[in-house]
Amino acid sequence: MLSRRKFLQTSSLVSLSPVLPYLLRNTARAAGAAPDSRALVVIQLDGGNDGLNTVVPFADDGYGQNRDKLRLELDKLHKLDDRVALHPSMGAAKELFDDGRLCIVQGVGYPNPDRSHFRSMRIWQTAQFDDDRHDSYGWLGTALDRSAEPGAAANAIYVGEQQTPVALWSRRSTATALSIADDLMLSLPIAATPPPAADEASPNLSQFVARQVLSAYAAADDFARRQSGLPATSQGDYPDTSLASHLKLVAQLLKSGAESRVYYTIQSGYDTHSSQLYTHYRLLREFAGALKAFLDDLKSAGLDDRVIVLAFSEFGRRVEENDSQGTDHGTAGPVFLAGSQVKSGLVGNAPDLVNLDGGDLRMQVDFRQVYAAILDDWLNVRSKDVLGESFKRLGVLS
Amino acid sequence: MRPLHADESVASAWAPYEPNESAPWNLERVVHLHRRAGFSAPWVQLQRDLSDGPQPSIDRMLRGQVSDSSAGFEAMAATIGDAAMASGSQGRLQAWWMYRMLLTPDPLGERLTLMWHNHFATSNRKVQDLVRMREQNNLLRAHARGPFGELLSAVVKHPAMLIWLDADSNRRGHPNENLARETMELFTMGIGNYTEREVQEAARALTGWSIVNNRFALVEARHDDGEKTLLGQSGSLTGDDFLQAAARHPATSQRIAWRLCQTFMGEDTVDDTAMSELAEGLVTRNLDVGWAVETMLRSQLFYSPQNMRSRVSCPAEYVVGAIRALQLCDPPPSTLLLAEWTSRMGQELFYPPNVGGWNEGRAWLASRTIVARANFASALVEGKLWHPPHVPDVAELLSRHDQPTEFDSATDWLTRLLWGIELPPGVRQAIRSDELLNNDEPLSTALALLLARPEQQLA
Repeated sequence: MLSRRKFLQTSSLVSLSPVLPYLLRNTARAAGAAPDSRALVVIQLDGGNDGLNTVVPFADDGYGQNRDKLRLELDKLHKLDDRVALHPSMGAAKELFDDGRLCIVQGVGYPNPDRSHFRSMRIWQTAQFDDDRHDSYGWLGTALDRSAEPGAAANAIYVGEQQTPVALWSRRSTATALSIADDLMLSLPIAATPPPAADEASPNLSQFVARQVLSAYAAADDFARRQSGLPATSQGDYPDTSLASHLKLVAQLLKSGAESRVYYTIQSGYDTHSSQLYTHYRLLREFAGALKAFLDDLKSAGLDDRVIVLAFSEFGRRVEENDSQGTDHGTAGPVFLAGSQVKSGLVGNAPDLVNLDGGDLRMQVDFRQVYAAILDDWLNVRSKDVLGESFKRLGVLS
Repeated sequence: MRPLHADESVASAWAPYEPNESAPWNLERVVHLHRRAGFSAPWVQLQRDLSDGPQPSIDRMLRGQVSDSSAGFEAMAATIGDAAMASGSQGRLQAWWMYRMLLTPDPLGERLTLMWHNHFATSNRKVQDLVRMREQNNLLRAHARGPFGELLSAVVKHPAMLIWLDADSNRRGHPNENLARETMELFTMGIGNYTEREVQEAARALTGWSIVNNRFALVEARHDDGEKTLLGQSGSLTGDDFLQAAARHPATSQRIAWRLCQTFMGEDTVDDTAMSELAEGLVTRNLDVGWAVETMLRSQLFYSPQNMRSRVSCPAEYVVGAIRALQLCDPPPSTLLLAEWTSRMGQELFYPPNVGGWNEGRAWLASRTIVARANFASALVEGKLWHPPHVPDVAELLSRHDQPTEFDSATDWLTRLLWGIELPPGVRQAIRSDELLNNDEPLSTALALLLARPEQQLA
């Protein structure tokens, strides 16, 4: 049969393109989405990011005392103030910081830190400390249960190849997983036809189905055009990395009118027990580069005022490096919030490398204070309902 | 088992179907019966039912004898299921169920099993035990048509559910309300029919329920045998007392009636009166699900014009229905791939999104899942559902049934087979482009386009 590519070249699709924006708007309206609803994008830095070599307390003598082979060169750091600086590979994040689009919360953790990847990640993902509650519902799933209406569109989208993370598990709301853009590409030569007009308020079932189906095909055509570099709006300049491709897909979903409120993706590899220098360099470059490309893309699409990004890791690493030029599991670390709606700058103090707790950093900020800010000030969900108790929320959103 | 006594049936919203001018027994209604109550049917079965009339056709559906029961089916299914367990592969477990849906002589039984899988939505994501998931699936099947109380007790006390809803961590003095709450909210009465206090009391009644050697066990030492007040009863209530009380609650019959109508009736076909009548009938018959299904499938309402093509097919119905109607089981497609496609359409069997299950109906049709349906149609005609690839011969299917293979006649026939109606002019226009007529396989492409049409999503 006719190949998809050939069809795109030969069909009458081009003549239909003026209709497409109309179809997309209709799709969104038909499903009852508020076009200006806010979205949260979560990047999970998986494995335990070495916060000390991410937001570096270069002015503290303790840094050089604890980090020998892993000490980053002072003149290559991106200084944020006279005490801390970003890792040399995070130039893109420094640009976001200077541009007022990056908030860094220092020393984020929780009481009685757990050094198991699995358990600590469950704690972050569920905001629960009772093991019995680690396999049931995630903090975002619970938040969506309290805010989202069940409908055709998933309330949350996980972009990645692994199983949908616990953070999105819920009692009622839905999360869907999307791994590759192919999931949105049509392999059939369907000539897009304008869907039948329908009563906006309550289309009958066959009208609804016709509109959903034909609008989906039109959206897929639009998506295919963006992918193939045919006429499309700015795609931003994404690096060729896995995280960047995931965030690019999130941006494409947002730009094509997706109604989900939460998007979640994972960057793996932060468990740097040995030969950390290069690995960590590459990971942070990937993270910062993808983050900036994503935010720039959203900005040029005029969507930056309705999207914020949260990046976190399950724990930081120990202050003192180990004998394998790596670091072992530690405690508190930095959390990033990014986007034009965050209160840019540094929150909290540089890590105190003197007053340690058995060789580990003491936490300054409970991660649930960050969640409380996102829930109350961004997703409009009462944080107490999700977290079970009230937390003093951080002023991280403008 | 008769659905209703003759004297009741006069004023009943579920009066028995008699063919008439506005609802004749025609191909449209034969196809409707098979799509709505089963997974579509091949041309030979449609023609048989058309000439036999409604009663024998409905009888066959209810009794699970839609096709000649091949003695080998259950044995082969068991072999495939055992192999899936041995492999430890979730895909093979899903493929096992796909095999059952494809080849069963009792499609209604599989549809009911699917309905209960959604009603008692349990995910292997947390259970992490293929054997327990298969056992639960077999329980759903065994009790599918039976009294609801027996199904409820069997499923809730099975390890898969006990794991899924944290029964083991519900202990005297340390209650975990998960199982109690979902049993009340989702499995039986539905929200608004009990108090928060009753959820806590029910959780106390359920304390001590646990799993020993992969079987249900009551650990007496963890059970709270104190006084409880719950759903109109007081005393040292046990978990079994709670389940019985929940099943008996009038709201439960309403919820079961609602679930059955969601599965077998169109979106706006059943009004409150009809729903209540079904619920009341269930109450007087010990929540006999088989009675309710029979009442629905034999009713005038089921064959009324407003009930035709008025329900969105779920992904499993969509996938299995296409293969069955088009007789594509020789050679059989890869059931692993069929399960993967079903997942892509949003229905990952044994992995419902949460304890609330899948949102049925319009919710099946999001952009991404619609694209998956269309891509499945494309994969089907390109032979990509088979290992090794095997391109279905559409012309041969037509010839086998003495149908002309010329494009317009062929698409007319395919429409009758799939939808039971004549090809609507607008659809003919949409699938009949010059590019299509000039391509190598116009019939295959037309078939894929028909399967991707909005009309195919409604049954």
